[in-house]
Amino acid sequence: MLGIVKSFGMTVRAALRKPVTVQYPLVHRDLPNRDRAFPILIWDEEHDEPFCTGCHACERACPVECMTVVMKDNPKHATGESKRRKIIDEFWIDYGRCMRCNICVEVCNFEAIGMNNTWAGHELSRYDRSRLVMDLDGLLSQSKAKKVEPGLRA
Amino acid sequence: MLLSAPSIDISQPAVSAGLGLFVITLLMTVGVAYATWYERKIVARIQQRLGPNRAGPFGLLQPIADMLKLLTKEDLRPATADPIAWEVAVFGIFVPAFLAFVAVPFTADWLIASLPLSLIYLLSVSGLSFIGFLMAGWGSDSKYALLGGMRAAAQLISYEIPLILAMVGLVMVTHSADVYAIILFQDKVPLIVWQPLGFLIFLTASIAELERQPFDIPTGESEVAGGVFIEFSGIRWSMFQLTSYVNMYVFSLLGAFVFLGGWEWPFGRDIGWGYQLLLTITKMSIFVVFYVWIRATLPRLRVDQLMTYAWKVLIPFALVQIFFNGLVIVYDLPDVFLLVTSGAGAVALVTLVYRSVRTTPRKPLQMFSSAEPARSVV
Amino acid sequence: MVLEQDHALEVVDMAINMGPQHPSTHGVFRMVLVVDGEKVVDVTPHIGYMHRGGEKLMEAMDFRQGIGFADRTEYLAQFSAELAYVMAVERLMGIEVPERAEYIRVILTEMNRLSSHFMFMGAFGIDSGLFGTSFTYAFREREALQDVFEEVSGDRLMYAYFRVGGLAWEVTDNFTQRVHEVLRGTQQGIRDLDDLMTHNEIFMARCQNIGAFTAKQAIANGMSGPLLRASGVNWDLRRDEPYSVYDRFKFQIPVGNYGDVYDRYLVRLEEMRQSVSIIEQALEQLPPEGPIVPEKMPRRLRTPPGEVYTKVESPRGEWGVYLVSKGGDKPYRMKMRSPSFCNLSALREMTIGQFLADAVMILGSMDIVLGCVDR
Repeated sequence: MLGIVKSFGMTVRAALRKPVTVQYPLVHRDLPNRDRAFPILIWDEEHDEPFCTGCHACERACPVECMTVVMKDNPKHATGESKRRKIIDEFWIDYGRCMRCNICVEVCNFEAIGMNNTWAGHELSRYDRSRLVMDLDGLLSQSKAKKVEPGLRA
Repeated sequence: MLLSAPSIDISQPAVSAGLGLFVITLLMTVGVAYATWYERKIVARIQQRLGPNRAGPFGLLQPIADMLKLLTKEDLRPATADPIAWEVAVFGIFVPAFLAFVAVPFTADWLIASLPLSLIYLLSVSGLSFIGFLMAGWGSDSKYALLGGMRAAAQLISYEIPLILAMVGLVMVTHSADVYAIILFQDKVPLIVWQPLGFLIFLTASIAELERQPFDIPTGESEVAGGVFIEFSGIRWSMFQLTSYVNMYVFSLLGAFVFLGGWEWPFGRDIGWGYQLLLTITKMSIFVVFYVWIRATLPRLRVDQLMTYAWKVLIPFALVQIFFNGLVIVYDLPDVFLLVTSGAGAVALVTLVYRSVRTTPRKPLQMFSSAEPARSVV
Repeated sequence: MVLEQDHALEVVDMAINMGPQHPSTHGVFRMVLVVDGEKVVDVTPHIGYMHRGGEKLMEAMDFRQGIGFADRTEYLAQFSAELAYVMAVERLMGIEVPERAEYIRVILTEMNRLSSHFMFMGAFGIDSGLFGTSFTYAFREREALQDVFEEVSGDRLMYAYFRVGGLAWEVTDNFTQRVHEVLRGTQQGIRDLDDLMTHNEIFMARCQNIGAFTAKQAIANGMSGPLLRASGVNWDLRRDEPYSVYDRFKFQIPVGNYGDVYDRYLVRLEEMRQSVSIIEQALEQLPPEGPIVPEKMPRRLRTPPGEVYTKVESPRGEWGVYLVSKGGDKPYRMKMRSPSFCNLSALREMTIGQFLADAVMILGSMDIVLGCVDR
């Protein structure tokens, strides 16, 4: 019987402790800097264009082949505003296939892609799976609005 | 005695009994709906988390939300279910639980019917519910339900016997089988002092009758995934759940009246119906909190262990209690002898550690150091 | 009146299907139990509901892409799976991992052992009938451990942190301090679960002498890990075939006597305490600075042709990786020897003759992960 009494003592002690619940929709936990939500592209403030040049490095390195990249000649290079000869034209990432492994960030030569480490990167529910495919504007929007500073970059 | 609330004065006995039953049914329905609320809150606190707190302040509207959801659910019905058994099963469990309230004296003046054998009435009516379990188990035409139904019937019948024997001990001491008279008997000392062994047996047997942890084999969620209730959904399932809580109230009230003194101890009858009601509810709450606490803490017994416990442990101890009561009555020994023997019996029951019933002491784990390689593997 | 003997009542054993969706089969696992009353007469397990073609997929991944897949195969002991994979590639290529990386790998793997065993404690309590109390205590600690993992690697469950040659990136600055904090909470959690379950008479009555397996039977069935040690076999890969830096720590290995469900529970509980001790020793011995990948790390990971089998002691048993390479940067064949698959093959022998309720306890005590059974 003593073991059962010990169990009772344990539950009484636990009942007197503070509950550990974080009441999610009202309270958001602080995310650490390295948190890996989904990949986003980074906007270059100085030259007013994305860092990404469309070099296909991340597309080749992706284990699940979730990216599609199209590059074009950079119009700003002709006018001398920017050093990038090529710039990204279209970029799609299927968030439904992405496994958030961070390899695209590691292989990028231009530090143009990073992992979203905010709650907006996690709260991406959609009613239709095709809406999870992000295009270039969607991928750049967070960085353009200066809402996110991704953690690990290289 | 007739139900006489302070402002209504009705002279027709049938009408007033009917009115009383109606009021009690209404109160109890709301009461058990909120029983789910505080059970969830208490269990949540034991598990170090918050219970329901989103529906209304402190989650007080949660039972209403649950009720609305269950009412609007589709009433699924297995095509091969036995038509009569499956339909009537719910009522077979639901009705006896409410019938028990006929004989329960909430205060000195408030009861629906004054029966000279109300204790026997209570025990027999609450024992009728096993038929409903059998009907649900058989009528659902599902192997899980059948297993659950058989286990439920076996458990309920087995644990009726220690329950009744513990009550027999009480009847011997108080010379009356009327709950009202037993309450009046306890105006100086509550019966738990004279019958601690009977109290322990009552406690254990009542948890088994209620089919709660640690005796919830028939509704074992992790094995038979709900057991008897597996084919019932929506309003029928909610009736099962509510019946379980109504039964909990009935047994808590019974325990509060016959063991803890009801509204009579410690202040006597003259303090007015308000304080009497408060005492009743407080003592009932002690039992209810204890039942909920046990539910969150103890794992489930296996079916054969459950049966062993009823037949080989509780019944002999109950018979021992009756024997000592008989000795005291026949030889006219002083009351304190009751306390001593029953207390010793209670201590014996408590220290009869369950494992000593079936297993021998075990060798502890052997510990090998990582620095020395294993000399031999086996 | 003549009794008609040929219309006698036919008594058949009942076949109960604990289907793929069931509250206590720990994943999509199907068991068909043939019971006679309450005693189990036959068990037929059906697996394969979670087969994803993992080994074939890994043949198309190079040695950095495949680490994420190893995580997803053994999703409760991820670092053990990653460790076996990267160790296999390192052995083929002849790379030596720097010391600091080895120590951090050991710390993280042992913390992962803790979180996996906490998961076991929680789920086992639920199987035995507790109303979820053990689960919340266990997950409270698991969340704290996962917070540290999130700070270091970025993800709470699929870490993908180990790389061939060391680690992906350096740990955070306050890593040692965070681990010390978490270890304090973990010790409290182990005590909580111990108080709640170990000496509870009802729990002991449910667990003792159930599913007992002798040492001979355990070895014959190819078991490993806590199940093997609970049966009395004194074998632990961290001591007997040491890998990484495990030979620098002093810890104890619990070995049971009876091989029943209770012994397995006790062995895992004790292993948790020993893991805490290993982590503390590793934190003391951790070199304060140093590289996390070797200096001469090749840019492209190409292995010479050959084959290798590496094994690690995961929380479930011996997790092995058999890697065959024909040169090039992708494996030719990559087989994962999963402990849950081999342990599960003994289910039938263990369960026949026990009660129905015990079948659930025995399955729970094996602590299987369907991802690694089915791959």
